[in-house]
Amino acid sequence: MSKRNPSVAYIQKKPLGKRLLKFWPLYVMLVPCIIYYILFCYIPMGGIVLAFKDYSFKKGIYGSDWVGFRYFKTFFTSYDCGRLLRNTLTVGLIKCILEFPFAIILALMLNEIKSYRFKKISQTITYLPHFLSSVIIITMMQRILAPNNGVLNQVISAMGGDGSTFFLMKAKYFYQILFGMDIWKNIGWDSIMYLAAIAGIDPTLYEAAEIDGCNRLKRMRYITIPGIRGTIGLLFIMGVGGLLSSGFDQIFLLRTPGNMSVADTLDTFVVRVGLQNGQFGYATSIGLIQGIVGLILVVSANKICKRMTEVSLW
Amino acid sequence: MKTSHIKYSLSDRIVKWTIYTIVILICAAILLPCLNVLALSFNDGADAAKGGVYFWPRIFTLGNFKEVFKDGKIVSAYRISVARTVCGTLISLIVTSFAAYSLREKNLPGRAVITILITFTMLFSGGQIPTYIQYKNLGILNTFWVYILPGTVHVTYLIMMRAFFESLPESLVESAQIDGAGYFKIYRRIIIPLSKPVIAVVSLYTAVGHWNDWFAGAFYMNSSKLWPVQTVLQQMLQRAMAAQQEYTNVSQIVAHNASTVTSDSLKMAAVVITTVPILCVYPFIQKYFAQGAMLGAVKE
Repeated sequence: MSKRNPSVAYIQKKPLGKRLLKFWPLYVMLVPCIIYYILFCYIPMGGIVLAFKDYSFKKGIYGSDWVGFRYFKTFFTSYDCGRLLRNTLTVGLIKCILEFPFAIILALMLNEIKSYRFKKISQTITYLPHFLSSVIIITMMQRILAPNNGVLNQVISAMGGDGSTFFLMKAKYFYQILFGMDIWKNIGWDSIMYLAAIAGIDPTLYEAAEIDGCNRLKRMRYITIPGIRGTIGLLFIMGVGGLLSSGFDQIFLLRTPGNMSVADTLDTFVVRVGLQNGQFGYATSIGLIQGIVGLILVVSANKICKRMTEVSLW
Repeated sequence: MKTSHIKYSLSDRIVKWTIYTIVILICAAILLPCLNVLALSFNDGADAAKGGVYFWPRIFTLGNFKEVFKDGKIVSAYRISVARTVCGTLISLIVTSFAAYSLREKNLPGRAVITILITFTMLFSGGQIPTYIQYKNLGILNTFWVYILPGTVHVTYLIMMRAFFESLPESLVESAQIDGAGYFKIYRRIIIPLSKPVIAVVSLYTAVGHWNDWFAGAFYMNSSKLWPVQTVLQQMLQRAMAAQQEYTNVSQIVAHNASTVTSDSLKMAAVVITTVPILCVYPFIQKYFAQGAMLGAVKE
């Protein structure tokens, strides 16, 4: 990778104009990508000013009247605010913190499996749900959790319980369902990174530990886990950024009249208020809060991780 | 010494069997719901509504699948899904590989700035509404393009591709340059033929992303004629979620459906059909994805 190109020094001496000229075909190839990022990422980023404006379709984003922080005030004093923040944080904590260790544990277990075939098959099975869409998964789940004729209720009534629970309509089951579904979908896929990291650990460390009389658990604890500390840190940083905006898909699709009180998060609120009711300015301001909090979280998690494990995103 | 050795191996064996058991349980937990849905899709609809169908159909029928293929709306939705998957993947493959190839050149003036600006979009975005307004201004709302263009470049895939291109031996490129090959020729004749693994991974991920997307159809497309199959399924799901009574009264369902295909069994068949293409490409993805995940982990 770090092999020096012999012509580097020569090229760098040339004036910028000449270098631009030399690379013109590469710039041409880069143009579609740059246009994409301008059109679909940076212009919408400029559209954030909408959070401070009373959007009118006629005047466009930049011609609309300024309203200052009105939307933010409205949001923070509204009845919805407390509920939305509580729900969003709960979902975020479930997805970013509570689910986090499971993939690590699976990777540690898969790593201990010595039979190649068994390992391969279990990997194939556990990675699979990652490729199914939320719509498919929730459609499946809705059938399985259905009252009376769903499999879960059938099993419950076969064991002598009450088999008519409408799980999806009960607010108290919402977080459990979300948690279970998310683990089901992601545990295998998320373990890949850890497995890759484990594969990079120097095998002589394990041999030395074995000679010194370390058993499996101890080797796991004193070699494997410290060995993948960097990867854990990195994935944690990336996960934390999504604390306020995680899992729109699942939550939006899991909402039923029965669990609305807990299933309404900032994400779904933005879509409902903005895309469905057309209150563009208000929805943008809430999206902006999410975006800024996410950015702050990533930056600070990165800082903390850098101090603790010398791992950093940048 | 000897006793301690035996003790260790005993504890090791306990750990080993615990791990095997847990992993088997996890696999079962993942597979069994899928098997249940598969069984339901092959089972007579009215019969399935009575419950008791677990992992094998009780009254076997292909009626559900026949019904899905008879439904003009679903069939045309599959057509849209296929079209967007093919077009979208091709376009994003071309744009991404072009960009990755040019950013591979370490002496390219502006390379660092462009890389930072592209990576930044991973951390921060304008959000749902400004994006929507931009689509509107571009005039792609309610057209087929709203499926294709917004997902053209993914930062992760771009970084993956660039990392792979950078790992190719520089000497090959240099010797081609000496032979007088231009940048585009090197891209076409050397870089692309050598990059099959990363191209496979990126195109499969992109294709799965297109196939699975329901959001664009649901929010950026008014005309249900242009909905991909995932959006059609999502609308069915949403209706079922809102209608509390759907499964509560079994006798009602059976009485009201003259045919033995219920909306529920139809849905299960549609779920199976929608998942089959993914299952077909899955072995190919699997061949490459550990590699891909590792490439993705290499950030800089």
